[in-house]
Amino acid sequence: MSVHTRIEGLGARAIAASHAGARLFVIGAKSLRGVFDRDYPKGEVARQMYVVGNKSLLFIAITMGFLGMVMVIQSGHQLNRVTGDLSQLGPQFLKLFIQEFAPTITALMLSTRVGAGIAAEVGSMKVTEQIDALRLSGITPTSYLIAPRLLACLSMGSILTVIAIVIAFTAGGISAWSVFGLNPTAFFDSSMVRTYDIVIGSVKALSYSLAIPIISGFCGLEARGGSEGVGTATTSAVIGSSFAVLLLDFMISGIGLMVFGGGV
Amino acid sequence: MSQVTDTRTAISVQDVSVAFDGTEVLRSLSLSLEQGGRLGILGPAAGGKSVLLKLLVGLVAPDAGRVHILGTDISRGKEKTLMRVRRDVGMLFQNYALFDFMTVGENVAFPLARLGETEDDEIADRVSARLKAVGLAGSEAKMPSELSGGMKKRVGIARATIARPALLLYDEPTAGLDPVTTSKMYELIAADQADTGCTVVAVSSDVGALMNFSTELALVHEGSVRYRGPSHAISKSEDALVRQFVSGDDAGPL
Repeated sequence: MSVHTRIEGLGARAIAASHAGARLFVIGAKSLRGVFDRDYPKGEVARQMYVVGNKSLLFIAITMGFLGMVMVIQSGHQLNRVTGDLSQLGPQFLKLFIQEFAPTITALMLSTRVGAGIAAEVGSMKVTEQIDALRLSGITPTSYLIAPRLLACLSMGSILTVIAIVIAFTAGGISAWSVFGLNPTAFFDSSMVRTYDIVIGSVKALSYSLAIPIISGFCGLEARGGSEGVGTATTSAVIGSSFAVLLLDFMISGIGLMVFGGGV
Repeated sequence: MSQVTDTRTAISVQDVSVAFDGTEVLRSLSLSLEQGGRLGILGPAAGGKSVLLKLLVGLVAPDAGRVHILGTDISRGKEKTLMRVRRDVGMLFQNYALFDFMTVGENVAFPLARLGETEDDEIADRVSARLKAVGLAGSEAKMPSELSGGMKKRVGIARATIARPALLLYDEPTAGLDPVTTSKMYELIAADQADTGCTVVAVSSDVGALMNFSTELALVHEGSVRYRGPSHAISKSEDALVRQFVSGDDAGPL
């Protein structure tokens, strides 16, 4: 393959990627507008909240519980080796979880469970012409399908993040007490948590909750062909949402550090 | 809904080209149909028939050319224009496109309920009447997943016609149906047309049934119209490809 052909191929990919980016932006904007248009079935937001929140709860609770225990045990061993002082284990753990781990890990799990679900549902509607039938009835698919999922993710994403913090912190406290004999009053100490941590954690949770349904809905609406197309859309939704979560994490953390100096 | 009261052109497609991923599906295609007309579109598989039908409701945008539907130019794909035109169009999709999260009754009622101009009781009555007309009386509470392919097709026809649109598009209305049901479906479509005076365009690979049903035929091959004229004259076309497609002979250009 000649250099000229390779450059042409790269150029074509770059153009296709920029077109996809533009379409993603349009779908995002239309979905946000759809939140205010409220052109979706009655009770759909509540149904989606159940799908996003209730059905993800056990998955997130178990994962965050184990993560909390593992992180406390690993950190405790390191601290014991270096300083032998475990008094800051609980406060630092809570600070880190509020600002970083709870919103990000929760969002990554929602990307796999909820993102895949949205892409599969919308994608199968696309390949079976149900999306065309909606459009023919004067409905904008972004308003009808993505907007209620967006509202559900926004509300339940934040609630799940709070639940994730509580479960991970509780599980961490129990393992600190059982493995290191650390007094619970020393572990369950929120003195290190600043407003900055809560603000950054909340901004992250909300941003992720916006990105996941928009990217997943976009992947579903881009589905082509039959079941293979739906499979591809689902995979793309998980990869795209997860990537967006990590990118947003990096950007929000960076902006927080630059603007507020890390809240110290 | 809109009743056809004059003889203006219902469909006017002028020099339209459509390409997907660099592959041309429609090539400078032109076609027109008067209001109240009954046009059948024939052609070999993957010849652009379904794309042409979607073009007529703005579900596919033309890369070049003009599309006028019921006197409105929809070529530019402006959402407000499309929404307005689509209120007067009903369509049966090739894959039925029934909403799998709704019951049969909700599916059929959907276009009417969306317009918001009819009372709930009247909608229920019209849904029952439509389902009875397609031979599915009492199926309101069933889910699409409980139906056979032929039944789904009939529900699709009931949904497409319930709002009595001025233009009805049928994509393979009788695929998968037995010959008796096929005749009944075409009789139903013809009766609906006689009742409302709507314009009907039907795409099908069933040459015999479509020739009997349509007053006019168009044969689309590789994105171009190869025949456009009265149904009875298609078998005498000077184009060997058209004659071969209609007769079903092995020998020929196809």
